Amino acid sequence: MRILIAEDERELSAALVAMLEYNHYSVDAVFDGADALDYALTENYDAIILDIMMPKKSGLEVLRELRRSQVNTPILMLTAKAEISDRVAGLDAGADDYLTKPFAMNELLARLRAMTRRRSEFSPNTLTMGRVTLNRANFELAGEKASYRLGNKEFQMLEMLMANPGRLISTEQFMERIWGYDSEAEVNVVWVYISYLRKKLAALDSGLEIRATRGVGYSLEEAQ
Amino acid sequence: MYYPRTRAEVRETDRRDEAFYQDKLYILEYVRRRLLREIEQLRGESEAELGRDPVDHCKSRIKSAASMEEKLRRRGLEPTLEAALSQVRDAVGLRVVCPFLDDVYLVSSWLSRRDGLRLLETKDYIADPKPNGYRSLHLIVAVPVPMIRGRQELAAEIQIRTLAMDFWAALEHQLKYKQCIGEEEMIVAELKRCADETSSTDINLQALRELIAAAAGAGAAEAEITQQQAR
Repeated sequence: MRILIAEDERELSAALVAMLEYNHYSVDAVFDGADALDYALTENYDAIILDIMMPKKSGLEVLRELRRSQVNTPILMLTAKAEISDRVAGLDAGADDYLTKPFAMNELLARLRAMTRRRSEFSPNTLTMGRVTLNRANFELAGEKASYRLGNKEFQMLEMLMANPGRLISTEQFMERIWGYDSEAEVNVVWVYISYLRKKLAALDSGLEIRATRGVGYSLEEAQ
Repeated sequence: MYYPRTRAEVRETDRRDEAFYQDKLYILEYVRRRLLREIEQLRGESEAELGRDPVDHCKSRIKSAASMEEKLRRRGLEPTLEAALSQVRDAVGLRVVCPFLDDVYLVSSWLSRRDGLRLLETKDYIADPKPNGYRSLHLIVAVPVPMIRGRQELAAEIQIRTLAMDFWAALEHQLKYKQCIGEEEMIVAELKRCADETSSTDINLQALRELIAAAAGAGAAEAEITQQQAR
């Protein structure tokens, strides 16, 4: 899951980024309203967190412009003041939810989950294919006998593959979705992570294989 | 108890062990050394053939009299020397710790092909870990012991595992979590999670090693082609 955070308080932003990454989200952070709008318009996020009071453009303005441009990504507003008029204005302008500062990190995570759940209609906690199950709540990949805990990026990669069985996913799609827009990672990192996953699928006797199509990408298939 | 031990430990347990194993102790000692020699042989051969050692280190032990008696009683047997030698298959134990995951299977297939060692059973707790997350490959082998009249066989247990599996097992062994009543379930689940994470890293390192070997192989092949073209 990719999240955009627009928050001008650097310390709060850093804490949010650390916590979200710890919970296996990919995060882009921007510090003013103009950047927030640029990123949100050009990139594909699963959710956006917008502070209301920001330099250059307020969160409310960014929100209105995004909705006007048909960007329907779920948006959570952060408000410093607990004023009812602010919250009403935000929700009326198309925000999906709001949180008043200071807030508990747990609550932010729960609201993010609720928002992204609503969007994808029904996203089950586990994905099953072949003889393995991937658990989205604890990042466990379990076979019939053994199980492994996947790291952040490995998990996201397998989640993409298992959610789209048999469909070809390009190296660029993995890069964009998991490593993010201005990642300095090189594209062959995708190939390294594919080898990690292949080994684990084999060790678990999953009955699955990741097929490579040269120069295009990878797909997850039932082994012949 | 695995070697090396402190001198005091050696004196104390040896007195009890000698009293229990009596004149059969030399048989156990023979089997222990025989197995250690096998591993030395494997390491030498691998260095020569593959240019690398598939074994990081190796430990061995003879089951102490105390734990042997305890095991026999637990299984409802008389704690006698006769029962110890015929009913228990880990009076002699060897633990082989390998750097990489594939090394574990290399060591195991090498050992099971050795003349003179008879493989009785393989327990693959890597493919099928214990509920607490414990991973290791256990071989039970019968080792022939030459005697003045004919020969005898003694069963021994060889545990083969990676450094990562050994690291987890060693630390798990030190946690006396069975005493903390009420929390046990949570702690067991956490230990299993740690084992699943460690093993995930184990697999990734094996994959990286293969990627590096493949890249080096491709590099060498390319260099060879350029050399040939130059000629």
